[in-house]
Formats: sequence, C-alpha cells, structure tokens
Amino acid sequence: MPEVIIPIGPQHPALKEPVNFRVIADGEKIVRIELDLSYNHRGIEKAAEQRNFIRVLPLLERVCGICSHSHATVFAKGVEQLMQLEVPPRAQYIRTIIAELERIHSHLLWLGVAAHEIGFNTLFMWTWRDREAVQDILEEMSGNRVHYGMNEVGGVRRDLNPSQVKAALSRLPHLEERIAKYVEMVERQKTMLVRFRDVGKLTKDEALKYGTVGPTARASGVDYDVRKDDPYLVYADAPWNVVTDTNGDVYGRTRVRIGELAESIKIVRFCLENLPAGNIRVNAPKTAPKGEVLSRYEAPRGELVHFIRTNGTDRVERVDIRTPTLANWTSVAVGLVNQNLADIPVIVAAIDPCLSCTSRLTVVDNGKRKTTVVSFDELRRKNLSNNEEARP
Amino acid sequence: MAASLSQRLVNWARQKSPWITIFNSGACNACDIEIIACLMPHFDLERFGILARGSPRHADILIVTGPVTLKQASRLRRVWEQIPDPKYVIAMGACGADGGVFHGLYHVMQRVEDVIPVDVYIAGCPPRPDEIINGVVTCLDLLAKDAQHGGKKWREMREVEITEMDIKKGELTP
Amino acid sequence: MTDRLALDFVAAAMRDYGPAGQAGPGRIRIATTPDKIQEAIRVCQGALQCDRLITISSADNGTTLELIYHLTGPHRTILSLSISLPRDAPKTPTLSDILPPAGIYERQIHDLLGIVFLGHPGLKRIVLNEEWPENEFPLRKDWKPGPDTWYGGIREGRT
Repeated sequence: MPEVIIPIGPQHPALKEPVNFRVIADGEKIVRIELDLSYNHRGIEKAAEQRNFIRVLPLLERVCGICSHSHATVFAKGVEQLMQLEVPPRAQYIRTIIAELERIHSHLLWLGVAAHEIGFNTLFMWTWRDREAVQDILEEMSGNRVHYGMNEVGGVRRDLNPSQVKAALSRLPHLEERIAKYVEMVERQKTMLVRFRDVGKLTKDEALKYGTVGPTARASGVDYDVRKDDPYLVYADAPWNVVTDTNGDVYGRTRVRIGELAESIKIVRFCLENLPAGNIRVNAPKTAPKGEVLSRYEAPRGELVHFIRTNGTDRVERVDIRTPTLANWTSVAVGLVNQNLADIPVIVAAIDPCLSCTSRLTVVDNGKRKTTVVSFDELRRKNLSNNEEARP
Repeated sequence: MAASLSQRLVNWARQKSPWITIFNSGACNACDIEIIACLMPHFDLERFGILARGSPRHADILIVTGPVTLKQASRLRRVWEQIPDPKYVIAMGACGADGGVFHGLYHVMQRVEDVIPVDVYIAGCPPRPDEIINGVVTCLDLLAKDAQHGGKKWREMREVEITEMDIKKGELTP
Repeated sequence: MTDRLALDFVAAAMRDYGPAGQAGPGRIRIATTPDKIQEAIRVCQGALQCDRLITISSADNGTTLELIYHLTGPHRTILSLSISLPRDAPKTPTLSDILPPAGIYERQIHDLLGIVFLGHPGLKRIVLNEEWPENEFPLRKDWKPGPDTWYGGIREGRT
C-alpha cells in the first residue's frame, strides 16, 4: 500500500503538541485512522514511583500545561484519601477557585483554536486577549501564569489575603460580560453555525459505547460529570448545573463549552464571596498506608483518572494516569471514518485534544498507487476553501 | 571588516524583522502556549517585526520547547539542518537547559544542547511572555554583533580563545 | 442517575466470577481470572447496567502483573474487576470487541508492561519510539536502562 509521510515542520504556532496519526484513505474519504503517541512520551509514571510526595507534585503538574492544576489536585486528593486526612474547608475553596479559573482559561483557549481552524481569526485574537484577564487573576494568587504549584498533600501552599480576593472579584464583571457576548455569538454567528454543524456527529449511544468523556460526551446528551457524580472539593455546595446539549456535533460541543464558561464564573464568584476562615493545610504524614484508590476529577477536557497504589513508604508504588484525550480518541477514530480528509482539523480540534494534531499526518491511499504529501496546513486551507461562503 | 552595501542591507533586514519557527520536542505545552500568548494582542511580538512561520526554510531563529524526547531528537536535528545560515537557536525554559523536571527520565534526551548547538537560553517554567521577548531581543543583539564581524564563526572562535586563556590562567580546569 | 449498587447485589451477580468487596466509598472490587473476564464484563454490562469503561489500570505487583478494569453506569458506582497474570508469559483475551475503548488502553499497556492481549486487532507501538528494543518493558519494577542498549535518539554528535 503506498504510504505518504508528511515532512515535519510545525505549522501555525496555534497547533501545539506533535502527534502522529496514520490516515488510511480511499481518495478523499477516510477509511481508518491510527494513533502514535510516542512524540510526547516522557516516562513520567515511572519517575513518579521514585519521588516522594513533595517532589512528585511538580512533576505531575507538568504532564500537561493547560490542565496542570487538575493533575496535581487529583493526585493530592487520592493520597489524602489513602492517608485519611481531612483537608480544611478554606483549602478546598481555594483549590476550587483555581480549578474553575483553569477551566475558564482552557475553554477560552479552545474557542480561539477552534475559531482559527475555521479561519475566524478575529475570534482567536479576542478569546486569547480575554484569557489574559484570567491569567492576571491566577498570577496574583499563585505567582505564575501556568503551573501554579498551589497544591500539596494536606492542603494548599499559599493563602489568599483579602486584597487578593477583592482584586479577583473586581476582574470578574469584565469576564462575565465577555462570556455573555460569546454565549450570544454562538447562537447567532453564521460562520460557526455553518462550519460546525453536522461535522463529527456522535449519537448518545456511540458516545457511551466509545467511552467518551467531558464536553465531547455532554454534547451528545450524556450527562456524566464527575463534579456531580462523585462530588469533591466544593462542587456539592456551589450553585451550578451540568451543561448538556443534544446536537452531538462540533456545534454542540461549542455550545457546551461556552455554557460551562458561564457556570464556572458562577462557581468562582460563589467561592470568592464565601471563602471560609481557617487553616489552609493540615500536617500530612511522611508515609502513606498501604492501599489503593481510584481518584477522579473533571478536567477541562473531561474525566481525568489517577489510579494510585501505595505501599507504606513515602512514595507511591504505582500511579496510572488516564487523560481525557486518550479516552476521547476512540470516538475520533470512529467519527472520522467516511468523512473527508479536509474535515480532520475541525473534528480533531473539537475534542479539544491536549495533544493537538499538527505536523505529522501519514495518508495511505488505498485506491491510487501514488504518494501525495499533504500537510496539516494544506488540509486546513482546503477546508476553508471548501466553505468559501462561510467566511466572515 | 567593512561589509558591502548589499550585505549591510541584508543584516539590517534580519535584525529588524527576524522570522521564527517553533519546534515542540515533546513538551507539556505550557511554553508553547506562552509563545502563542506573545503573539496575541496583549504582548504582541509582531510589532517588533517578528513573524512566526511554519516552515523552517524561512526562519532565522528556531525556538525549541520541551526536553527532547527520543522520538523527536532526529526530527529536531533534521529541522535544524533545513534552516539556512545564519541560524540561531533559543532553548526555552528549564526543559531546554537540562531537562527540567524530566531530568533522567527514560524517554528523553534531556538537553537540547546534545542535539543542536544553542545560542540563547531562556529561564522559567514556563518563562513569562516578557521573558520570552527579552530572550528574542538578546538573540537579535547576538545577531547584530555577529553580523558586524562577518558571521557566527567569529563568536565561536572567540569562545574557544577565551576558554583557552582561562585554562592558561588557571581559572578553568580543562 | 439511579441509586448506588449495594455490595450484596453485586456480590450475588458476580459470585461465579470471584469475591466482591467494598474498596472505598462508591467503588466495589471483584477479583477474577483471565478466562472468566470476558463473561464477567458482559454481566456487568447487562445485569449490573454498566454502560461505560472508565479506564484499564495496570500495576506490577512484584510476582505478578495485575490488570484492573473500571466500569461505571447511571448508578454511579464504580466496579473494578481485577485479574492477575504471571510475569513470564502474561496473556489475556482482548476486550476491544465488547468494549471499544479498551483497544487503545491495551496497546499502551502492551508497550509499557508487555502484557499480550490475544485477539487484539493491532498491538503496535503507541507510546515508545520505533527504535525501542522489543523485550524491554519500562514500567516493570525490575527494569533499568541498560548501559549499552540503544533506545532511540540520535547517535551522531551535535555539530
């Protein structure tokens, strides 16, 4: 079978991580798609077995740059459950504030990248500019724009003083106004309605069968959300709703994410206004008793799972990380069958991959025996030209 | 050495409008997102004339993020070879310097320096956009200094000379 | 959302496959064997109404390798079915035909721990690079990088 390998070359900076998938195509239609994740494999799970509970958190935070607080929190939560520690309420509130701010900045990032995929670059610039407001709040609270380092086993490492809380609350109205604009836009903007409709459609049964998680699943009507199913942190007390949609296509996923933006702002406001007094941490023992826990968390992209096993020492025996993008991959592989090659950028961007497909794309053409070199950028340009009339 | 008019024009264009290309060698993405945030209206790298281009053949500066995973090492090398001279390499963050948190892991080469020669290191995990702009401007200063003396060879030979002098004086052990 | 499953109910449904025990709030653990795992999963999908696979966790216990399948459903209880495999020839039937997402988790476990999933449509490399030697499984407890083995990367010097 003739194979085509695309030369490397990072495309537009908007496409982040390199991942390779082999697309077996018959002319323009996709027959099968296979995944290769070795570009990013660093060996973190093995290294985590050799670091104690203090040193392992910065390593786990850096599994992913966008959901770094998610990884740190889910691990700390799991170990605290094994050690049977009662984390003070103030720490839970602070963790929730950072978690929801992370969700907001992640969804805004996604909105910009998805807009870029359909050629709507203005929206790309707007959303990333609004992200900066969120980054400012996070920097005031934690000292860094990414990789906040707020967590430790037993609580949080930094407290919020009243002036920080006031500064954060003062930035929220601007964000709420921008989010309301995006909510209105997704209902009315013709570009999005045309380009996202009926692309990458997943029915509710398919979403469940393929193990899809997160906004991708909720757009198909599946109402699983770890924050409601297995409440942790402050989600049982804060007033918020799970956002679902019935469209099941990329448009549905856009609506779910924008809806979640509005819900997250509500949670942040609730937590900031009702921050309880008290300690921010309890002293954690150096070693954890022998045990096993399955710790789950709703990261911006979906359900993140850490399976942690301890053996009585000061380090874990095993931490098995399952990221939401890996869970959603099966739905992409299935959802892309019989679609056009040119639709790949939009469909893959719609699951909000934390390994964004970029440079490497191998196209194997079943029918003609010739090699065609197709780069991701060309696919996107083809995508855009196929839909000329939708350009703003 | 006085440069010809055309050479001076080319040098001026390179300094005033360098084009960069970004290579992610297996990073956690935080550095890449900070670079993209640099290009967005808030920090706006493009007002300095810096354009981020996809193809290495058009670039002056290569920015490498991430500890180089074993899979990406040969590809990084190939991309670097495709960039026409004079080329400059910026290694971003703690990962670029010595692997960062990923030092010693089984699927990384750890140092960008082991794969391609590096000119500028930017510290941070991830570096802030202002620090990235500072790093790129430092690289441009290097570019200007090298251009005055006819190219990068001058700087590399100077480094060898300085090292040998320090060894003779006893300040550095060979 | 329906009511959480009670331990007795699950233990009764799974009694042909292995003992069930409460492993934490909302999680029930059942230890079974590789020859019964496919049937056990089918019972979970049927009588116990589990409609999605959360993940397949793997661990190296020293003497054996262990695989744990976590399933859940509208009742929000997590059922963890675990099997133990011998270290020298770990083989188990694949579950990718009855649980489609298992395909990708099994590929990853095969790469890192060396467990062979019989009947899997394509157990190719997914997380390790193509030059990684065939019989080295990094996540096993007794694995250390050999000083003379080539694992990938580049050989030639940098300039």
